[in-house]
Amino acid sequence: MENESVKADRRYIEVNETRRENAGGEEAARKHLRRLQPGEKAHLSDLRRGQSGLVTGVHNDNAALRRRLLDMGMTKGVVVTVKKIAPLGDPIDIELRGYELCIRKSDMANIDIEVIS
Amino acid sequence: MKIALVGNQNSGKTTLFNLLTGLNQKIGNWPGVTIERKEGVIKGTSHVLVDLPGVYSMSPYTVEEEVSRQFAFEERPDIIINIIDATSVERSLYLTTQLMELDGKVIVALNMCDMLEEKGIHIDEKKLEEAFGIKFIKISALKKTGIDELIKSLTLVGQDAEKKKLFPDDVEEYITAAERAIQGKTPHKRFAAVKMLEGDKLFSALQTDELKSAAVKLTEKYGMDAEQIVANERYNFIVAAKSAAVTAGQRKESITDKLDKIFLNKYAALPIFAAIMFLIYFLSVGLVGRYTVDAIDSLVLKFGGWLSVALRGVGASEWAVSLVVDGIVAGVGAVLTFVPQLIVLFLLISILETSGYMSRIAFFLDRLFKKIGLSGKSLIPFIVGVGCSVPGIMTARTVENESERKMTVILTPFIPCSAKLPIIALFAGYFFKNYSGLISASLYFFAVGVIIVTALIMKKFAFKGGGSSFISELPAYKFPSPRYVLRDIVEKTASFIRRAGTVILLCSVIIWLLASFSWDYRYGVDIGESMLAGIGNALGWLFYPMLGEWSWAASVSAIQGLIAKEQVVSSMEIIAGLAEGAGGEVFRSSVFSFFTGASAYAYMVFCIFSAPCIASIAAMRRELGSTKKMLAAVAFQTVFAWLLSCLVFGIGRFFEVVT
Repeated sequence: MENESVKADRRYIEVNETRRENAGGEEAARKHLRRLQPGEKAHLSDLRRGQSGLVTGVHNDNAALRRRLLDMGMTKGVVVTVKKIAPLGDPIDIELRGYELCIRKSDMANIDIEVIS
Repeated sequence: MKIALVGNQNSGKTTLFNLLTGLNQKIGNWPGVTIERKEGVIKGTSHVLVDLPGVYSMSPYTVEEEVSRQFAFEERPDIIINIIDATSVERSLYLTTQLMELDGKVIVALNMCDMLEEKGIHIDEKKLEEAFGIKFIKISALKKTGIDELIKSLTLVGQDAEKKKLFPDDVEEYITAAERAIQGKTPHKRFAAVKMLEGDKLFSALQTDELKSAAVKLTEKYGMDAEQIVANERYNFIVAAKSAAVTAGQRKESITDKLDKIFLNKYAALPIFAAIMFLIYFLSVGLVGRYTVDAIDSLVLKFGGWLSVALRGVGASEWAVSLVVDGIVAGVGAVLTFVPQLIVLFLLISILETSGYMSRIAFFLDRLFKKIGLSGKSLIPFIVGVGCSVPGIMTARTVENESERKMTVILTPFIPCSAKLPIIALFAGYFFKNYSGLISASLYFFAVGVIIVTALIMKKFAFKGGGSSFISELPAYKFPSPRYVLRDIVEKTASFIRRAGTVILLCSVIIWLLASFSWDYRYGVDIGESMLAGIGNALGWLFYPMLGEWSWAASVSAIQGLIAKEQVVSSMEIIAGLAEGAGGEVFRSSVFSFFTGASAYAYMVFCIFSAPCIASIAAMRRELGSTKKMLAAVAFQTVFAWLLSCLVFGIGRFFEVVT
């Protein structure tokens, strides 16, 4: 019998995998998604331009990359705002800790947030 | 005393380094301009200052960041000057919290303080000193303020007594225990202790079972892994210190945001970029060339004429006069003809590099380049390479992913660099007179096309590395400093002229000798019987398919591009001069009169895309890390260029025949 947390983990990983696969050509699908409301839990890649979120977790299969994100200030409890989107839809420029950081959507999909506005 | 300059990328380290040492190292406005350590002596002292590549943390993520970490750790500087972008203290101070854990003194230089008022930020550096227990000094490397105080503080003692401990008590307990356990086994024990908590592989030899279980207890207590605890607590400490010391004004839409609305506009971004690259080549070759090339050409001719009269006047023999006038003056003069065009090119590139636009290019083309197996950051080497391939190739180090980085190294020499500009200007100026600017710009876009195609080929067959990422800071736009731009142009132009006076001069002498003597050492033979013609004839078959003509002269000139690309032009000028007797138009001489538009374009394509000059090949070898890979890359480039130029000639000649 699998316990609940293992199941939840597996579900998270599955969602994550599909997210990563779709991250590139996701725009069309995203148009159908509603704008997220404050208080909802989501991934950083779900935010639209101008929206802010509170980071609640940073995951990444690539340990070095995760480390880099932590070093750049992407830690639990930090507020991030989506500022600019590259003309081709990816990467995204986000504001955190008073500066701007560009990051690919596929990596943003691995950052959990709680929507602020 | 050895002093290290450490700071984030793009925080102004090199500007401060240049200011303190009086040297002129390359600066720019994109993260990662400095890729190797550079040393200098601080003016008026005997302190050695080392400029290191920018890092965001002491856990290196790219090759060039490793340089900084190794230096700080292994060479153990007496003092670290930690330079910080005062307009973005929160992220910048993260590195400070790590540097404080190393042995030795840390002084924080709050740079760009001239921008604080404009941004409505106030910083109380005394409060920061209290919180961190180290010296903070406000400076502006650009406006040269606070520098004297910074130099003075280097020799003051006792001000650095108490570096504050920043972690919560339970983490500090672990650190104290770890420090005790590794006592005497490693330098920088506090730093090592924290790294052990994080489980850094470099320190795994020092681990003990007790420490391991203590670390596990902490992660259970905090509900996250150790790396996250450490990063979180560092930032918590910084936020607390910042809230006491820094008051930020009202944020209004900055000029950078406004400019980005244009430069990063969904529809305009690509056209603007294309227009900028077009203008760079169009202006430098087309616009200026029209006025300067003929003027300098006739000046060189007059000088040659005057010199031959003067030399004959003092009784120089015929061959000596020919060596000086037809060899050296013609060869070196041919290259110098294009200096005004190069100055324009250097000016435009320098403005581009210091404005902050480079990071935008990387940002908005990343998606496209990801598709072909490169990173958006590969664009930066491709643009630096417009000036010279060597720094371009080295800049590839900022690309994180290994296969993306190696592909970038191999592709950068395809970009038409400043040394290839004389070739383009010579051919385009004659065969496409009114469209020379257009033709030279077309070659840049041709190069971009070639890069995309070859990248796809390499991705398919040679490099299959996945899992890449793109993380980059987007710096604010800056107005390029005229003082720096001017110095940059002077330096690059001087180095081109220096090369003309050394390498090109030497080659001119050799080419003259080979062109003037036959194999049985007779002087004054017809150039068709010279040694040079013999060498060229041995190579003629290689170039026949792209020229449609058996030309020893064009063949022997093209291979000299290996020495330096501008040597092609120099060689052609010398051969043409000797063939005709007196100087004059290169393409009117009997040896080069066969060139038409099609063969001219094909010849340019070969010269641009084939094996780069020897300096670039050496840089490629360094970055690829093996002679075998370097040889494979050079062979690939040359074969590819040969096929391409034959194709170009075929198509071009078809249209020439038809019309």
